[in-house]
Amino acid sequence: MTFRSLALSNMKGNWRSYSAFFLSCVFSVLIFYMYSSFIFHPDVVNGHIEQAAKVRRGMMFCLYIIGIFSFLFVLYSNSAFLKTRKQEFGLLSLFGMTKAQLRKLVIYESIALALLSIGVGIGLGMLFSKLFFMALSVFLKVSDPIPFAVPLKSLGITGIGFFVLFVAIAVLTSLRIGKVELVELFKAGRKPKGELLFSPWLVGLALVSLGSGYTMALLLDSYNFFYMAILILVTVTIGTYFLFTQFSVLLIRFLQKRHSVFYNRTNMVVLSQLGYKLKDNARILFMVSIMSAVILTASGTFYLMQVSAKKQIFQYYPYSIAVLEKGLQSHAVIDPDKMKATLRSEGFPVTDEKIVSVASVEAVKLTRSNGHNIDYSPGTMMISVSDYNRLAAAQGKKKLHLKPDTVAMPGSFNPPIERFQGTVNGKAFDYKVASVLSDSVMNQTDMNWMTVIMDDGNYKQMLAGVPENDQLVWYGYEVKDWENAGPALKKLDVSKDLVGQMDRHRADSFANMKETSSLTLFIGLFISLLFFIASGSLIYFKMFTELQEDQAQFNALKRIGMTKQEIRKITVTQIGIIFYLPCLIGTIHALFAMKALDGLMASSVWLYSLVIIGIFVVMQTIYFLLASMSYTKGLNRGTASA
Amino acid sequence: MSVLRTKGIGKVYHSKGNISYRALEDIDLNIEAGEFVGVMGPSGSGKTTLLNLLATIDRPTSGELEINGVQPGKLSDKKLALFRRRELGFVFQDFNLLDTMTIKENIILPLVLEGAAPRVIEEKLKPLAILLNIEGILDKRTYEVSGGQKQRAAIARAIIHQPALVLADELTGNLDSKAAKDVMDALKDMNERLRATVLMVTHDPFSASYCERIVFIKDGKLFSEIRRGTNRQAFFQQILDALSVLGGNFDDVPFARA
Repeated sequence: MTFRSLALSNMKGNWRSYSAFFLSCVFSVLIFYMYSSFIFHPDVVNGHIEQAAKVRRGMMFCLYIIGIFSFLFVLYSNSAFLKTRKQEFGLLSLFGMTKAQLRKLVIYESIALALLSIGVGIGLGMLFSKLFFMALSVFLKVSDPIPFAVPLKSLGITGIGFFVLFVAIAVLTSLRIGKVELVELFKAGRKPKGELLFSPWLVGLALVSLGSGYTMALLLDSYNFFYMAILILVTVTIGTYFLFTQFSVLLIRFLQKRHSVFYNRTNMVVLSQLGYKLKDNARILFMVSIMSAVILTASGTFYLMQVSAKKQIFQYYPYSIAVLEKGLQSHAVIDPDKMKATLRSEGFPVTDEKIVSVASVEAVKLTRSNGHNIDYSPGTMMISVSDYNRLAAAQGKKKLHLKPDTVAMPGSFNPPIERFQGTVNGKAFDYKVASVLSDSVMNQTDMNWMTVIMDDGNYKQMLAGVPENDQLVWYGYEVKDWENAGPALKKLDVSKDLVGQMDRHRADSFANMKETSSLTLFIGLFISLLFFIASGSLIYFKMFTELQEDQAQFNALKRIGMTKQEIRKITVTQIGIIFYLPCLIGTIHALFAMKALDGLMASSVWLYSLVIIGIFVVMQTIYFLLASMSYTKGLNRGTASA
Repeated sequence: MSVLRTKGIGKVYHSKGNISYRALEDIDLNIEAGEFVGVMGPSGSGKTTLLNLLATIDRPTSGELEINGVQPGKLSDKKLALFRRRELGFVFQDFNLLDTMTIKENIILPLVLEGAAPRVIEEKLKPLAILLNIEGILDKRTYEVSGGQKQRAAIARAIIHQPALVLADELTGNLDSKAAKDVMDALKDMNERLRATVLMVTHDPFSASYCERIVFIKDGKLFSEIRRGTNRQAFFQQILDALSVLGGNFDDVPFARA
């Protein structure tokens, strides 16, 4: 028997315990390959797919994340896997295998496993890559489907990269084997896990950290965002850690003392086993909780960003088309009737038309609250408060009340403006600024960078002497199906030198925003999915490393007459707790995070958050069902033979 | 009243290629309430097979088995498990205690699974623990106590729910001679004071000398039976004599202890 064949037969004989580790490796390779095959896809590299150029950098970023993630994931899986084999190593060294040989054995095994999982991973990756391309085509709105391809570069990067990664990890972990005494290796499996202890101080710390983290999240606003966000992250993480390692002990001890609960049939077995495994489970539960919180918060945040971007677009462009012209009937920029006819024939009829009389202000001077004066040169307009309210009402915004000789102006100045001076038609005025506006009801054009609202009476007086041909008028148009009207709007015929007096950017910037945000949403969802699968695998892996120990326990229970149903109840309860507890804690974290973001961005996304949480719970349930099914199967296989 | 009655039970194992192996043949056994019966035999004589049949974790291929008036062979899997839990108590060579629980929790497990009230549980536990001299270790974990203590805890677990029959399998096999003596004294106490019916399978003549009656089996069949008089020492000698007649290999448990 050569050394190599020993390593191979080890794997063959022990396939069940290798399978979890193997599957984690295959999964990492699979994801990495799919991403790289898109990035190095010939059509993407050649620029045939226009949209792909924009997302390539985002995808590259994703690839880095997957790389780092795979490294950590495989490292963790490998060390967890080796831990389950400590006894085996102890036996081998008892028979006189040297540490160097033991390391060699581990490295041989890892190389075999690496080759196998890279092969299977890339194979599955090829199989699924078409599906992945199809999903990407939908997100990127590519008209022709992205053809199936196997880029050599991605094959090379995936294959060589993961081979190096696996071997490096094998070397790292094999070094650790040498450091443990033989006796310890031998006893590893049977080592008692010690008593359940907790420190009241740390329990207190957990509660205080979580409480303060949550409180800070509720108090979060845009001024204290940066330092508060970090503080929240730190406190919540610490709190969660001690919640699982300390508070859980307190809870289990409390329940064990409540005899009416503890002495209730299978509860005793469930609680004892939970307590027994707590030390091992706490860290996993902690990690999975944090991951769940990240998943939920990230998906929520990306959606929120999209919502607020849309809101911002409406803020800048209240109407699909806006025109500012001199002369009430001049139609120098565009003839409204002609425009309406063109748009109707294009399939985007005008659904709303607003006309507002506007006064142009010259020699604008603004006086700040600290006494400084500013000469404001960009085009400034004034409208009457009743016109403002007419538009505001149509857009569902708040109405404004102004006294004579006061104005309302955009509040983007710091320190604020106290007085607003200028001339209209040669007549000078000096008004007090009574209120500042955060909303605008009109689109900007070259002529109205700033729009100031004034009292109706003042406005009439001011415009009294102005001839009709010199008066300014603003038109706002809304069209049907405006989201897709971009190309049609661009075709409208406007005389070249007056093109700045028309604004028709909304459709374009919306399309732009949608493209980038759907991509960020895709990347965000993808990373969430990655975290989700990883967290599920952590739990799954954990369960299967414990399977043998559990089998012994359940065999013992079966011998004294525990029914299959009771054993199933016990296992399902335990698996349920392990799956849903982090889910619950993660959800609570995420809800507080969403509440904070809500306050920050002033838009409500509760419905969406609940949908995301719902999806998460459903997915977790599927995972839970699969895991508990295969676990009971494994358990029965083990106990049937006893 | 007879607690256990078997009539001609046997067990045939079939392996691949139509080779069958007759592990047990035509065993008639009758155990009255309150008896303390030992089963002895050389390695491979079918002791463990017999115990597995009596413990209802294996089904006989022929004959009839009746425990406390019930024929376990006619029960469904679930009812069988419940029957095992209510009517039988087990003491195993490897203790079969759960590491995840304290000694106390291990002992009361049969009652807890039956849904007994916490007050009843405490009431039953206390005298038993005192009788078995384990009240000081109730809150300890299994790996914190000695083998003898573990086995006495296992006896407590086998008896706390007042089963019809206690089955013990080589219960001193993993113990040193002092601990073995303590455990056998404890089991004897249970039998005498609490009128527990005990059937014990053993290799060990010393442990067997605690029984009232010993049934010897050889090659899967009943071979002989001896009853104890008043003197345990004399009974011990009687057992050794019977074993020498029986022949076979007893090497797996050393005699040196006796």
